[in-house]
Amino acid sequence: MTQLPSRRDFLKLAGGSFSLVALAACAPAAPAQPAGQQTTTPSASEAPPASTGVELKMSWWGEQEAPGLENWLKESIALFEKQTGHTVTPTLQDTSVVISEFQTSSAANSAPDIQYFWNGIYHMESVWLGYVEPLNGLIPDDVLKASNATVLSVFGGKQYRLGWYAVPMMWVYNKEMFDKAGLNADQPPRTWDDLMSACDKLKASGVIPVVGGLKDGPWGEWYIGHSLAQNLDSPGDAIDLFVGTRDWRDPQHWEPWAKLETLWKAGYMNDDMNSIDLYPGIDLFGAGKGAITQIVGPLVPKMQSLLGAEKVGAMVMPAFGAGKMSGKPIADTQGLGISSQSQHKQVAAQFLLFLQQPERVNALWEQVKQLPANTSWDGSVISDPLLRQIWQEWMQGDSVPYISNLMPTLFWTDAMFVNSQKIIAGEYTGEQAGQNAYDVTQKWVAQNPDMADKYKQWASEMKL
Amino acid sequence: MLRTGRFTAYVYLTPAVLLLAFTFGYPLIAIFDFSLRRIRGASGPFIGLENYRQVLGDSVFHQAVLHNAQLLLAAPILLAIGLLLAILLYERPRWWPLYRTVLFVPYILAVPLVGIVLSNMLQRNGIVNELLRAVGLGGLALDWIGSAGLALWSVMGVIIWREMGFGMMLFLARLQSLNEEVIEAARIDGANWWQRTIFVTIPQLRGVIEFYVVISVITMLAWVFSYVYVMTRGGPGNATLVIEMYLYNFGFRNSLPGIASAVAVLLFLLTLGLTIPLFRLRAQAAEEDRA
Repeated sequence: MTQLPSRRDFLKLAGGSFSLVALAACAPAAPAQPAGQQTTTPSASEAPPASTGVELKMSWWGEQEAPGLENWLKESIALFEKQTGHTVTPTLQDTSVVISEFQTSSAANSAPDIQYFWNGIYHMESVWLGYVEPLNGLIPDDVLKASNATVLSVFGGKQYRLGWYAVPMMWVYNKEMFDKAGLNADQPPRTWDDLMSACDKLKASGVIPVVGGLKDGPWGEWYIGHSLAQNLDSPGDAIDLFVGTRDWRDPQHWEPWAKLETLWKAGYMNDDMNSIDLYPGIDLFGAGKGAITQIVGPLVPKMQSLLGAEKVGAMVMPAFGAGKMSGKPIADTQGLGISSQSQHKQVAAQFLLFLQQPERVNALWEQVKQLPANTSWDGSVISDPLLRQIWQEWMQGDSVPYISNLMPTLFWTDAMFVNSQKIIAGEYTGEQAGQNAYDVTQKWVAQNPDMADKYKQWASEMKL
Repeated sequence: MLRTGRFTAYVYLTPAVLLLAFTFGYPLIAIFDFSLRRIRGASGPFIGLENYRQVLGDSVFHQAVLHNAQLLLAAPILLAIGLLLAILLYERPRWWPLYRTVLFVPYILAVPLVGIVLSNMLQRNGIVNELLRAVGLGGLALDWIGSAGLALWSVMGVIIWREMGFGMMLFLARLQSLNEEVIEAARIDGANWWQRTIFVTIPQLRGVIEFYVVISVITMLAWVFSYVYVMTRGGPGNATLVIEMYLYNFGFRNSLPGIASAVAVLLFLLTLGLTIPLFRLRAQAAEEDRA
């Protein structure tokens, strides 16, 4: 029979083990990246050249909104590994942790080499914390420009993201419902008055004119992205609002919420707006229960398959504002960047460049049916008339960036989210929503004096 | 007999104490430290009590505290329902094990699952309202989670529905360990069911009732995040925002861990402030019982 250690021996062993662990924990560790400073790790040009065998870690998101992307990425990685001998280990992230996980892992000095980034403030805060490497010098300038990461990815003259796939933002409408209501389905409303008139006829024909779901928030964010731009001349003007240089109490800036109030009070929207989420709201359109909704490009093919491709039309939000961005299509892109802590920045850049090769870009369309972000892609291969229209007008035409990507998250949670729901609940008027937006802005500036300065610099660089 | 030194016991205790200090003490100290800094990344400049000033002056935080206070109303409701169900089951009606299982099932379901299913059912055009309309009660088909006036009560209803099984099981377990001779003696002395319940059974449950009240208070203050996050995200407006959700927004969404830490410290102190007197009362009562 095996002799078990005595209690005394066990305690000695446990105490000794604990002491070793404690000593190891107290040993000097590599310091975490100091806040607000650029990295001290060697730049790509200083890193020893890696011939083969580098292991890259990549955290990404996108399968959620563009189904099929995962297979395309796996194939791309396999091809890259075969061609270079390096390996890439991808991790698909949950929507709720894309930003926080990157920031906490960076703070702990264990960030992935390649990180998925949403546009605008969703990656710029990490840039300001010194966690993201500028791509200039790692990626050729012509590729940086063609990737269409938009001006929202640039700070201090440096670009921090490479565009991956396109996210045109639009309103879609049901052509069949327009026809039945006596509207011209080939000429969707272009002005606010046109929209009111169309909604009146659609309602009279027995359908809900505009459908959506506000419970989780993004539908309200999209709405502000479309409507707030209408009285602004540039994305920099939007930043001026978010940092308090402009005043939300000015009627032109709370007009978007006043318009939402008008739509709601006229009975032009589904009565369960506040109790359903974004996707169930959009699905009302796909189920043929509503005539108009807001959508992003990657979801258009799904609506076409649900309703029939010939029944779905796309339009820019009808114009009511006098700003230079009014009435223009909105083009955004999802993208990828490189961690400033990566020890293999050149190899990471090599992989990002590989994803921008014409064959890979075209495969994104052929396999996933997602419009690539890369503007050098030959869109003539698109046979579907609606998707071709979106590619030409939204991604290659005279479009503007998606300014909701500039709002601080406090504004998202306490102003945008709250205002849209309170308008629908009948608790706020447009003017009260403007007052709340002003109060939240003041609060954000008081809580983030350091970030507000960065924002102001960003705004000064972003005048169109 | 083996003679040991004066400090031998402390030496043996040291690893466990250090482990506990590292596991519980360090995070607590770190949170206090974070609450006094503007944290960016892993650390940040010391700003004194500015985070506390921001939080305590924020009307949104006031709303969150008020909502948690409203949810505290669920604690006596949970206690009453749990006690009632346990006492009824203790009477061992026919098929009582089946009833016990059915009533306990909600408690073993994951909160996100309960939240998703019930929030779908409670939508304006969800199954609850469809049923009400179908039986001619359309006037009662309200916007349960989309209306600011109703949403918090709807969330509270879901919390009560899921959590009541725990109290019932706790009380039933205690009841089954009681000395039945005492209850039998009361019966022989002529006490009816109500008298036996109120004057004999419930007093014997005093200890477990006090424990359950403490647990329920802590739950309503610091364990309702999952319900709110899944069912309403704190909306509509801020109608269901609770302290934990406020903390989450600052910690994970607004990238201000310093403010989140200040909220965590306040929540910790609030919970401590409410539970310590409850435990003291309990200790006092135990002392009296022994006397």
